[in-house]
Amino acid sequence: MIDLHPLKLELVERIGWLIRLRWVAVVSTLAGIAIARLVEPALPVLPLVTVTAVIALYNLLFLLYARYLWRRRGTGIRRRRSPIFAAVQIVFDLLALTALLHFSGGIENPFGVFLLFHVIIASILLSRLASFGVALLASSLYAGMALSEMSGWLPHVHLPQLADPLHYANPVYTAAHVTAVTLTLLLAAAMASSVAERLRRRTQELLQASQICEINRSELTEMNERLRQLDAARTQFIVMVAHELRAPMGAIISALNLVLGGYAPPEKQREVLERAQTRAYELLDLIRDLLELVRARRIEGPAQGVPVRAEKVLESVLGLLRVEAESKGLSIEVKVAPDLPPVLATEDQLRSVWTNLISNAIKYNRPGGRIAISLTHDGDQVVGSVEDTGIGIAREDMPRLFEEFFRGEQAKAMVQRGTGVGLAIVKRTVESYGGRVWAESELGKGSKFSFALPRATDELVAQTSENNQKTS
Amino acid sequence: MASKGKVLIIDDDPDFCEFMRIGLESDGFEVLTAASGRLGLETMRREKPDLVFLDVVMAHPTEGVDVTATIKEDPELWDIPIIMLTSIMDTEYIGHFPTDKPLSVDQFLTKPVPMAEVLRIANEIVGTKS
Repeated sequence: MIDLHPLKLELVERIGWLIRLRWVAVVSTLAGIAIARLVEPALPVLPLVTVTAVIALYNLLFLLYARYLWRRRGTGIRRRRSPIFAAVQIVFDLLALTALLHFSGGIENPFGVFLLFHVIIASILLSRLASFGVALLASSLYAGMALSEMSGWLPHVHLPQLADPLHYANPVYTAAHVTAVTLTLLLAAAMASSVAERLRRRTQELLQASQICEINRSELTEMNERLRQLDAARTQFIVMVAHELRAPMGAIISALNLVLGGYAPPEKQREVLERAQTRAYELLDLIRDLLELVRARRIEGPAQGVPVRAEKVLESVLGLLRVEAESKGLSIEVKVAPDLPPVLATEDQLRSVWTNLISNAIKYNRPGGRIAISLTHDGDQVVGSVEDTGIGIAREDMPRLFEEFFRGEQAKAMVQRGTGVGLAIVKRTVESYGGRVWAESELGKGSKFSFALPRATDELVAQTSENNQKTS
Repeated sequence: MASKGKVLIIDDDPDFCEFMRIGLESDGFEVLTAASGRLGLETMRREKPDLVFLDVVMAHPTEGVDVTATIKEDPELWDIPIIMLTSIMDTEYIGHFPTDKPLSVDQFLTKPVPMAEVLRIANEIVGTKS
């Protein structure tokens, strides 16, 4: 995961920079002392060099600690401790600078403006509040030094070449000087930290944007792959459909060819034509199924249903399918709860739901098996289910069961023809009315398919029957 | 009338088998049918037909192709002429049902084949054989 805290990220990098900068400061200070000594013989070299040595020493310790932190990369310690570490360094630097100023003329030394650097560094590295803290500390140290020297609490180092006459003992000069320095430091903190804050925010936004881009890209790749698979499935489906359509058509043409060409003996002609007729109906059914699928796929958003009595539709579907089931030696049990409310759908669509589920139960059942159909209501829903004692469905096929064009291995092995469209139609239809479908199955034992459709509201039922009366 | 020869139809479409039977029998052939690749192979071993009409897409999309692969490796069967029939337009579409088995057939016909053509081929192949 990308670290979204640029302030802390930046800090980790900047701490090394701070330490390197301090080495430069140590060398420059020593050079400065040497040059100043040439101009000003009164400069106390020993205390100044000692302070500089102390700076070098603590910088060495900081360097070791920074290396330790660097090794703890990724543990979180580095990120948690870095702000405190930076603040500690800045405080040390302020103390050292104040000491250097004290030993080189106090407020008479113009290098007091160097305090500004520290405030600016703090504003860049630390939070807004912390940079004000640093500005206040710098001002207090400076004012403390000035007042201590003025009051004689600390000895004043007078550098006659630098400042003459004496300013440090003049309360007005000291007050003006200290006020100017304090205001400068506070304003610098305000301006620099506001710019730094804005930059940090921008960095954060950029980081977030690039993270979102990354997420979108992986989503797109995934979506593209899904589309590619769907497209491949569709191409195969079209080939299957073409085959399915040609098979009955081929049989019909063969039959006609047989009769018209005089190859069928007269006593066989009727049988041949009857078979052709059956295949023509089969073709019609297939086309109806495909259209049904297209229709179910086209519905977007909740469909407009009318109150339909699910048990009546079930009865008429059973009337058509019972013969087929009996020819396979299947027994059908039907349990319909009394006082069922009508559901919200259309009669045609509900018919297709029942037909698909029941013909599956017939097709994939073992000879002499059982089909149990139930219809109950559960709160605001009517729940229908069709249970068979057939081949069942493999666990790995369950999630794809309602996908268009999908047929399980067992189903393919058992029943030759099938477009893999039936359950997809059921799912699309039921869901378009705000219902849901689900399946339970055990391989080799049987399957149970259920659907729940919302009941039609009493209001809608009343309205519909009113309309029916008007039209009749 | 003495039979011109034995023709086996391997196809999972019972109507198609029946129509082929009626047509071929009207021309004096003896007709056997099998509804799957497995049954077809069993019948071939048992009956040694003179000609086989084999459907490509049965329970499995490549069932017919699998049958030819088995035939090719069985010395008892590899001399029997095979005519492949399918509703799929041409071999290109076979590509959508991948199989690593090579097609080994004498002829590849697209359904529906006019009965006159079926009889012409049957007479030609069975005729040259006997």
